[in-house]
Amino acid sequence: MKADIAVVGSGLAALVATRTLQQAGRNAVLIWPGLSSLYFTYATVDVLGYADDTTVQPVEQPEAGVAQLIADHPEHPYAIAGLDALRGGTALLTEWLGEAGFKWQGSLARNLLLPTAIGTPKPCCLVPDSMAAGDLRRDEPIVFCGFSGYEDFVPELAASNLARAWGRGDQTVRALRLALPGFEPGRLFTSIDLARSFENEAFRRDVATGLRAVLDDGTVRIGMPAVLGLTHDSDVHAQFENEIGHPVFEIPTLPPSVLGLRLFDRLRKHIQESGVEIIWAAPAHAAEVSDGRCRRIHLKSAGRELPIDARAYVLALEDTVDGAMRAGVHDVIDPFFHQTLAHHAVPTERTNESLFKPQPFASIGYPVTDRLQPGGEDGRPLAENVFVAGGAIAGYDPVGTKSRGGLAVATGYRAAKEAMAA
Amino acid sequence: MITEDVGTFSDTVEEAASVEACTKCTACNTVCPVARSTEIFRGPKFLGPESERYRSQPEATVTAGLDLCSGCKLCEVTCPSQVTIQEYIRRAQNKGAEEKGRTLRDWVLGHTRVLSQFGSMTAPLANIGNRNPVVRWVMERVLGIHHKRPLPAYQWMTFERWFKRHRAQAPTPTVSNASMALKRRSRGPTGPPREPGREKRTVAYFSACWVNFNERRLGEMVVHVLERNGIAVTVPKQQCCGIPAVVNSNMDLARKYGKENLRSLSALPPDVDIVASSTSCGLMLKHDYDHLLDIPGAAAIGARVYDICEYLWMLHEAGELKQDFEPVQTRVLYHAPCHLKSHGIGYPAMRLLRLIPGVVVEEVDEGCCGISGTYGVKVEKYDLSMKIGSRLFEAVKAAGSDSVLADCETCRMQVEHGSGARSAHPLEILARAYGYR
Repeated sequence: MKADIAVVGSGLAALVATRTLQQAGRNAVLIWPGLSSLYFTYATVDVLGYADDTTVQPVEQPEAGVAQLIADHPEHPYAIAGLDALRGGTALLTEWLGEAGFKWQGSLARNLLLPTAIGTPKPCCLVPDSMAAGDLRRDEPIVFCGFSGYEDFVPELAASNLARAWGRGDQTVRALRLALPGFEPGRLFTSIDLARSFENEAFRRDVATGLRAVLDDGTVRIGMPAVLGLTHDSDVHAQFENEIGHPVFEIPTLPPSVLGLRLFDRLRKHIQESGVEIIWAAPAHAAEVSDGRCRRIHLKSAGRELPIDARAYVLALEDTVDGAMRAGVHDVIDPFFHQTLAHHAVPTERTNESLFKPQPFASIGYPVTDRLQPGGEDGRPLAENVFVAGGAIAGYDPVGTKSRGGLAVATGYRAAKEAMAA
Repeated sequence: MITEDVGTFSDTVEEAASVEACTKCTACNTVCPVARSTEIFRGPKFLGPESERYRSQPEATVTAGLDLCSGCKLCEVTCPSQVTIQEYIRRAQNKGAEEKGRTLRDWVLGHTRVLSQFGSMTAPLANIGNRNPVVRWVMERVLGIHHKRPLPAYQWMTFERWFKRHRAQAPTPTVSNASMALKRRSRGPTGPPREPGREKRTVAYFSACWVNFNERRLGEMVVHVLERNGIAVTVPKQQCCGIPAVVNSNMDLARKYGKENLRSLSALPPDVDIVASSTSCGLMLKHDYDHLLDIPGAAAIGARVYDICEYLWMLHEAGELKQDFEPVQTRVLYHAPCHLKSHGIGYPAMRLLRLIPGVVVEEVDEGCCGISGTYGVKVEKYDLSMKIGSRLFEAVKAAGSDSVLADCETCRMQVEHGSGARSAHPLEILARAYGYR
């Protein structure tokens, strides 16, 4: 199949790259190996939460923080993508979210500080409206509300953790649990089931009545796991707030993440309905290169290979979950050029025993040139017309610095611009 | 990360048993149309890879809930680790049926070709019967086929018989009035006439039961469009593709059908491409004969099978598709069948239709229609199947369109039944642009 520009991947970097191409009037085809990393990793778009993965003090101004990072680390993917790409990509994403029907807030100027499901403060840059009332720079007392039988959010744990970090004056935290109609003990359910139920008006009203009965009249805001609707989030959230009479904020939970699902489903639908073709269920597994250019990539479609001949390619795979890399016992190999991206004597070298320490596997990826082309051992591009975006770029750990979203946006945007010029 | 064979034993474990590649991410459960619509269905993650760890050949299979899986394969389309979720469910379902015995309905719905042959032979009568409330009441009681589900009408003149006559006709091309009109408007020639023996390509058309017994017109359009492009068409001897047997817990029967088809298709010269106009039948030939049914030699034939729109788009890219389209002023919706997503070829029908002047085609992206072949026919699943499709029906109604295109025949039946709109194969528009009436 022929295409102008082929974007491989289904995460935020791939979507931003595709949108950038679409807005420039280019004809992009989006190739998916499976569902998106948005399902697993995103709720908010974090640009820079911590200057490095050992600092405790959160970054207050993400744009200024990235500028400093670029000055200190000229090899960092942010430095390669450039501050303009971060600005341009963020503006594009913000506008797109609005067009796709989302209500989001935040800017590169200032981070919000939002409580996580275990009650730790986390710096976030762009966030859905339904999360914003959780900002810990505000002083109103917080009530964490969990649900009986739902173990992905333990309100008592969140409250006791948050009380340690945040608890001066009015800043009081408490926890309560509600029993939900239809979710009796013994029923196996996930946040997705809850989110579907919250779209039902009668169910929502029942929960609101139950919650009002255990709340005092005083000023308080309610922190709930993010289950307020699967597709109609902003309506559900606004209506629920009305019914409660207090501000309500959602807290991202473990996968399957309702917030990630909302974001992904709607952006995907929007881009698809505006004319971008998506090739589902076809993992890419080889690139053909001649005279320094990639001539085609091969997808595994049903029964045979589907070659894609494009003028340029954006490899916007998001590391582990998108099948960006093939990990054997000793080697991690990329699926296109079959380069060894990392070699380990034993697989345990890839991991740190402490879950909360930086994980070596997180920074495995393609070394890239200053134009985001995948680089070979000699530092020269493996192919002139291929550009890497998102988590597949080597040399950074997006988890510790809370920068996955910003890097996806900046590199996705820049890779798309480069692909148009290639 | 997915392990690929890079040379050591442990690297191949996940490839050999993809159940090991499941990371429990639950993405499959979130897209499953059945799990979305009923809380009694545990979802593909639990019934597929998670239960698979507890299944073993000598033990009895726990089948509770397995029959609720509709077989849409969206779980496999979605899985970031390429776990063959659906195949685990199908195999377990089949083993359960072998242990417990199959129902009369399993037998009947697995043998749709036999039914169709009978329905076609007795065509006007069978169709009257299928609409008769008393007959339908009996069918519901005896067979478990829901009385509200419209059954497809059979036609007495099968596609295969039509094709024989078509072949026997003089090779003079039929120039329709429309293309005459086109000539008068001097928009150029309408393409060369059919010249038997001089075609560059030969295509074997796997028309499948649907076209043969129910929608001959679609087969005629396929032949028209291919011949219009200077391609010789043959219709090889064929059997049911086997998918009704697979989804009604009879994989042995499906395998028998598959072997018959492969025997016939293997006899074709190696340069003949095989084309199918039924999404799911094409997927059986391409992929499931080899992967699910393990039929020897299936991979080589599967690699030669194309969906009709996929094939035509390939011709277009090779510069071999005639572009002398008559404008078709129409605004249509397109519904992408779940099994088309499993093909991994994108949406070639939409690309093709956008070549035709006047055609505005918009995708209605509301997921599964709910019928899944024989699934939505069953008395205990009819309501569920309509609930699954309700988002699609609402979207079609909201779009105010009275015409929805879909490559899959049972999707078309369901869209018509649920939304009241007319539904056709995308080829209908293409054939019209080529002057077919």
